Amino acid sequence: MIEFFLGGLINGLAVGSIYALIALGFALLYKSTKILNLAHGELVLFGGYLAIALSHVLPFPAAVFVTLLAAGILGFAIERAIMRPLFGQPLLSVIIVTLALGYIVRGVMVGLWGGDTRQFAAGLPTGVTVIAGIAIQRVGIYSAATAAALLLVFWLFFRYSLVGIAMRAAANEQLTASTLGVSLRRVFAYAWAFAAIAGAVGGVLLGLWLGVNFALGFVGLKALAAVILGGLDSIPGAIVGGLLIGVIETTVGGYIDAHIIYGFKEIVAFIIILLVLMIRPYGLFGTEHIERL
Amino acid sequence: MAVRPAGDFKTSYRQDMALLDTAFYRWGFGLLVAALILAPFWLGHFIFLLTTIGIFAIGATGLSLLTGFTGQISLGHAAFMAIGAYGSAVLTGNYGLPFLAALPLSGVLAFACGAIVALPSLRIKGLYLAIATLAFQFLTEYTIIHAVGQGLGAISLRAPRIGPWVLRGEIQFYYLLLAVWLVSGVFAANLIRSRVGLALMAVRDRDYAAQVMGINLLASKTLAFGMSAFYAGLAGSLWAHYNRLISPEHFTIVTSIDYVAMIVMGGLTSIWGPHLGAALVISLSQGLKIITPAVVTILPSFAKVATPLREIVFGGILILLLIWEPGGLAALARKLKRLLDLWPFSY
Repeated sequence: MIEFFLGGLINGLAVGSIYALIALGFALLYKSTKILNLAHGELVLFGGYLAIALSHVLPFPAAVFVTLLAAGILGFAIERAIMRPLFGQPLLSVIIVTLALGYIVRGVMVGLWGGDTRQFAAGLPTGVTVIAGIAIQRVGIYSAATAAALLLVFWLFFRYSLVGIAMRAAANEQLTASTLGVSLRRVFAYAWAFAAIAGAVGGVLLGLWLGVNFALGFVGLKALAAVILGGLDSIPGAIVGGLLIGVIETTVGGYIDAHIIYGFKEIVAFIIILLVLMIRPYGLFGTEHIERL
Repeated sequence: MAVRPAGDFKTSYRQDMALLDTAFYRWGFGLLVAALILAPFWLGHFIFLLTTIGIFAIGATGLSLLTGFTGQISLGHAAFMAIGAYGSAVLTGNYGLPFLAALPLSGVLAFACGAIVALPSLRIKGLYLAIATLAFQFLTEYTIIHAVGQGLGAISLRAPRIGPWVLRGEIQFYYLLLAVWLVSGVFAANLIRSRVGLALMAVRDRDYAAQVMGINLLASKTLAFGMSAFYAGLAGSLWAHYNRLISPEHFTIVTSIDYVAMIVMGGLTSIWGPHLGAALVISLSQGLKIITPAVVTILPSFAKVATPLREIVFGGILILLLIWEPGGLAALARKLKRLLDLWPFSY
């Protein structure tokens, strides 16, 4: 029992770190553009599929590098071709457009590489490490380390680089930032590129773990749960939310899944979404928005 | 923006309030209804296409009441359709109710569920509400899979029966559907010009201003959710009796997104929008299914990409339409009519 939860905790943290990374891209995009990107799961899918396809022809690091580059370009392209003409359109149109975008990305990926589960080329770490009686997927350790390193890189980027500071400024107060010479268009473009890159890294890491098929797109919804839990417009919230979702899913979800009703793990994230929206709609760290008559 | 032909004067309020206010619309609607009634003769065995369009148009009308006229985004419309479908399956199967009683009852059941889902809508709005309905969609799917039919969620129904008639054939069912379709469409058109509909639109435009004017926000939003769920429940019940074998695969998030796509493509704030949108979306997806075998004989590799291709075409049309004409097909039709009215001089 204790071992189950301890193992769940550690494996949950490992998955959660990937969710956190994906949720980071999501929250970042929402914070700087106010767009709820329902195609985020498809960006994850894009990273996973492309990296696997490339890993069969290139060495693994090169494949990942090219994937990230492609994700960045995809982000810029989305902003330029689809989002800019829709600037200022009502909320629903923008949500629908991200949904349609998700359709296109998924259609292209599945059309090119088929819907079956695909694995990375052999030669990558697999197997289980046992530490203090708790079995841990070795892939999990590597992906958690990668996710942690990337979160650090993102943090440094937003703390010290000029683009990062401009993006934070625009996210904080769009109009003021614009008056002070921050190009909103460029910020939006960078936000999309970052969201796509964060999603793609998440896709690669999850692909290492489970293999990639079209269902990977649903991970975007778990990232959604993570940002709702952490607060839609909070970057630390996204990270904490991602970790929490990972842990709750593997411990509570895994327990009920194994002992009470089958398949419960898949919907834990949605139950969390509903509970958070009922109790604390702005999440753990989100900006509280008060409206009174 | 109403464009009225010159010389068409209204001499009473009754004429001014008429749903079909000009001769063009009266004749057009009459022709449309006539064409729909005669459809089995000119569509042949493609009548199933029109039946599907009709069922989804009823559901989309409900969503357009909620999203287009009340401004509440719902990404869980298929869940209400599922509730209606399974509700009527249980009512006719386990309780032996006649079809004509089960149809409205499943709508009422969906109405109740919709009203419950609406309750948080006072506290959360906009994006958050959309996410909550999305979560509701997944929870409903999950519940149905685990509660019905030994973990598969599939359930079969008997053919609908009205009095002594058993509606077995495609054409008989089509006429039943057509009646429900017309009644529900006209009801929605009447609803949105009534006091209730105006209140819903006030809520959409600015909820606090509406509240100041004395509109009960909770009641309006709950009613809108309930009505939209009622329509979805009717559509679900019809769909269940039409297919006679339902499974959760019919009511997934994809269907919900299709619904949203229908009302957006058709035109959000038009009463014709959901019907046009349903026709477009269903023709697109079914059309691709119909031509697939023909294309496969020429190009064998097409079979593998047919489904992804549908998604790509669908997404592409949606994006282009939203960028090019945010008002949807209804706005395009209006522009076309105006162009033809004024042709060849555009002033």
